[in-house]
Amino acid sequence: MSLATAPRPTVKAAQVTTTRRRPLKERSSTVGWLAATIWLVIVALPLYFLVTTSFRQSSEYLLDGPMSRPKNLSWDSYHLVLTSGFVGYLVNTVIVTVATVVLVLAFALPAAYAIVRSQSRFVKRAFSMVLLGLAIPAQATIIPLYLLITKAHLYDSLTAIVLPTAAFAIPLSVLVLTSAMRDVPNELYEAMAVDGGSPVRAFVTLAVPLSRGGITTVAIYTAMGAWNGFLFPLVLTQSDSVRVLTLGLWRYQTQYGVNVPAVCAAVLLSLLPLLVLYLVGRRQLLSGLTAGFGK
Amino acid sequence: MRKRLSPRWAAVAGVTALSLTLAACGSSGPSDQASGASTGGSGSGGKGQIWVITDASLNPLQKKSAETFNKATKSGVSLTVSDFANDPYKQKLQTAIGSDNQPDIFYNWGGGNLKQYVDAGQVADLTAALDAAPDFKDKLIPSVLGVGTIDGKVYGLPMQGVQPVMLFGNSDTLAAAGVDGTPATWDDLLSDVKKLKAAKKTPFALAGSQGWTELMWLEYLLDREGGAEVFQKIVGGDKTAWNDPAVIEALTKIQELVDAGAFGTNYSSVGYDDQGTLALLAGGKAGFELMGSWEVSALAGSFPDFAKSDKLVYGTFPTVPDGKGDPKAIVGNPSNFYSVTEKSKVKDGATEYLTSTLASDDYVQGLLDIGQVPAIKGLEDKVKVGDYADFNAFTYGLVADAPSFTQSWDQALDAATSQTLLTNLQKVFLKQMTPQDFAAAMAAA
Amino acid sequence: MSLNARATGRPGVVWAVPALLFFGIFALLPMVIVVALSFTDWSGIGSPTFNGLDNWAHLADDSQLLPSFRLTLLLSVASWVVQTAVALPLGVWAAAAGRSRATLSAIFFVPLLMSSAAIAILWGLLLDPNFGLASVLGPLVGVPDGNFIGNPDLAIWVCIAVISWQFVPFHVLLYQGATRRIPDSLYEAARLDGATKVQRFRNITVPQLRNTIITSSVLMLVGSLTYFEIILILTGGGPGTATTVLPLHMYLEGFSSFDMGYASVIATLLLVLGTGLSVFVTRVTGYNRMDSQLEGL
Repeated sequence: MSLATAPRPTVKAAQVTTTRRRPLKERSSTVGWLAATIWLVIVALPLYFLVTTSFRQSSEYLLDGPMSRPKNLSWDSYHLVLTSGFVGYLVNTVIVTVATVVLVLAFALPAAYAIVRSQSRFVKRAFSMVLLGLAIPAQATIIPLYLLITKAHLYDSLTAIVLPTAAFAIPLSVLVLTSAMRDVPNELYEAMAVDGGSPVRAFVTLAVPLSRGGITTVAIYTAMGAWNGFLFPLVLTQSDSVRVLTLGLWRYQTQYGVNVPAVCAAVLLSLLPLLVLYLVGRRQLLSGLTAGFGK
Repeated sequence: MRKRLSPRWAAVAGVTALSLTLAACGSSGPSDQASGASTGGSGSGGKGQIWVITDASLNPLQKKSAETFNKATKSGVSLTVSDFANDPYKQKLQTAIGSDNQPDIFYNWGGGNLKQYVDAGQVADLTAALDAAPDFKDKLIPSVLGVGTIDGKVYGLPMQGVQPVMLFGNSDTLAAAGVDGTPATWDDLLSDVKKLKAAKKTPFALAGSQGWTELMWLEYLLDREGGAEVFQKIVGGDKTAWNDPAVIEALTKIQELVDAGAFGTNYSSVGYDDQGTLALLAGGKAGFELMGSWEVSALAGSFPDFAKSDKLVYGTFPTVPDGKGDPKAIVGNPSNFYSVTEKSKVKDGATEYLTSTLASDDYVQGLLDIGQVPAIKGLEDKVKVGDYADFNAFTYGLVADAPSFTQSWDQALDAATSQTLLTNLQKVFLKQMTPQDFAAAMAAA
Repeated sequence: MSLNARATGRPGVVWAVPALLFFGIFALLPMVIVVALSFTDWSGIGSPTFNGLDNWAHLADDSQLLPSFRLTLLLSVASWVVQTAVALPLGVWAAAAGRSRATLSAIFFVPLLMSSAAIAILWGLLLDPNFGLASVLGPLVGVPDGNFIGNPDLAIWVCIAVISWQFVPFHVLLYQGATRRIPDSLYEAARLDGATKVQRFRNITVPQLRNTIITSSVLMLVGSLTYFEIILILTGGGPGTATTVLPLHMYLEGFSSFDMGYASVIATLLLVLGTGLSVFVTRVTGYNRMDSQLEGL
């Protein structure tokens, strides 16, 4: 009899928990809002400066100072930047980014699959080695990379940028994809194996589709890294025809230094494509960026 | 059991093939402009590259002269000009020279800067070509050509104006502070500093974030204090010359200037390449700037109204009390040079470009038009025309009368020493290093 | 039924080979070459010539080595402190739902979209002592001449601030995502027990974020050990050597002084440091364990 009357508060609590996410408003605090407001100023002020200055006239900027209200707005700076080779730089950057993402996924997906599913000791050791690669400083390898790229007759080409960028993105991509693939339950693989499925089939119909979150993360992370890459283009290219946006920006700074509105216009234009993507696909971008990480 | 090997290996083969294809794509195709990729030796045509530093007024002239040559030449050689910002330029050149991606003609500063490439066997000897073009050779000012001559052989030809360092000023700013023209003696300079400070202006604009602008002060002060011989000893390899009392005195004077507020307080965040000091001078926030004569063409590019006006004044560096140096001695870049790379595939065509262009009337006039004074003899009358007539005449006379023309130290010395020199000098200007420590550090470098 | 490898449909070694080869050629091979180069004398022109241990002996003479190392440590630790102190509260705050939070989070994200070059150039403009924001705001914070990046004592802190500005948004995202994954049940139980907001934060949020804190900290520390792009463009290592961190010292030795041999020595040191740190951290945090970390919930 005493057993039946034992209180069971845990059962009740479990029944109270909903699967729907509640707004959790009580978690907010003034400290959080204060921090957010301060950070808002720190982030928004430079961006405000960037936007307003880009529409000002060069002489006006020097005379009136950075924070004064813009008087005559003009598109002159944008016109100047766009006619100074900007489009070419943009195209080069797009090519480099797409090629890098494709290469990375092509290499990292099978590798992650092998690491998760293979029972070979070699593969497991290889995985540890790849993790080592997480901290190889790319800067330390630029001298030998220059040698290698030149010997391969690839110097001053977009390929020269793509290859090392993709190679250095592999460790992190393999890590994220492995983490994503591990969450595919073993039972599904076993079931497929019992059906007589090959590893290729399991890869194509099971591993890849179910790791979509990780793939998105890798694609986004790699794309952003390639888009904003600076060191490899600096050392491995020289001609204006293969210049990417980051190098183009640095060039604008020297060329138009005192024409601050022009430099601002250039910076803003280089930011625009990613910004548009962000506004359009924000949810995917945000969830993709951290999906593979938080585990 | 069905064999599943083929799809797996096919996938691996496919991926490997993909990357190899990408690799192969890189060695051909429109993006490859290196002269090494084109066929044809010298004489039978081919593409050539001229590498220069970015200079808003000079680059158009360089490009135009290349186009003129391309049209007129019978060698079939076609040259294009590529420009790079100053600091990255030296790195690019260093790593590219001798490789497949090297330029055919490259801009350099002669002296020690050129010597390192000559020593590595990467520069073509132009002595014979020069002797075969006596009309051209006779036009070049000998002392300038001398800086492009190493061990008796000519490796570089002057392609730019003579560039002595001198004082520039904004006469409106100066007048408002009660200063009349550029200072003639050290005491004049110190009193000008006081007057400009009282008028709340920066007496001397200084682009302290770039060490070479501070170097000019040391170059002149050492020359005035101890004569040109001191630095000649250093360049000759005698490191103990850094301990010469004149060096210490020059550095001490620099720190006196810093303490007196001659450069303002925020000079170490100001740059030259992004026209920071030009803006200060032209905008009336600074009274003077000590800079090379290219200051005028730089101003012409960004502040044309100021450059052409009477507001821009210039003068020589003042004398110092009890100084051993000749007051007429100058420092700066005797010129800049074009050299031809030894392994260039269009060597003859490139050499032809140099001998036919650099002293041609069009090119010389082009230099005069942008305010430069070519290193060509007999231009006394020609220089007195154009927007910058008086300035050109002044510069030409300055060079002609100078007993010595010391080359900028960071071009005369080897790269590693220059890097150490500039870093240590920045520390002296920041009062982080004493003159004695500087001398000791350079003697040990 | 005995299961042999073929029947279970497991991928073989060959699946991982392309990635290993590719990574090997472009990342591992250069590492080996750099170590080899450290025993040579090379200025970038011509071929390297073997010079034994000369470059390594030079380590003892290099008066810049220890200061650079100290600067790098300072940069790493200070960046970690600043970024974690900002990103953690912001991430937790941003995790809750609400329109205003979402809009602000959207704005916070923008720096992540900018390249290091763009950020360095933008801040260079802002910090111009004569024409930038620094000239306006400087006097308000005790720097009357607007001289932030030209001041040897302030310059490194400016770099730390700009680097933090760039990377805080990313870590906010990490913390935001992780906070959202904390099950409500934990907070419910705590609230029923009468725990205050602060107690809930300290006893539930922070421990639950342990893995994320480790992830985030690893990325920060390992990243700042070798990071120098912003510093290169913003200060070039100056004023003097006030911001010459170790990777920048290596870069300047190689590409300004053209002493590739000695630069390779520093590069080798960086490799050892970076790899060592990475090994240490992955061992300690157990990244290389094979289990999914969703277990237990």
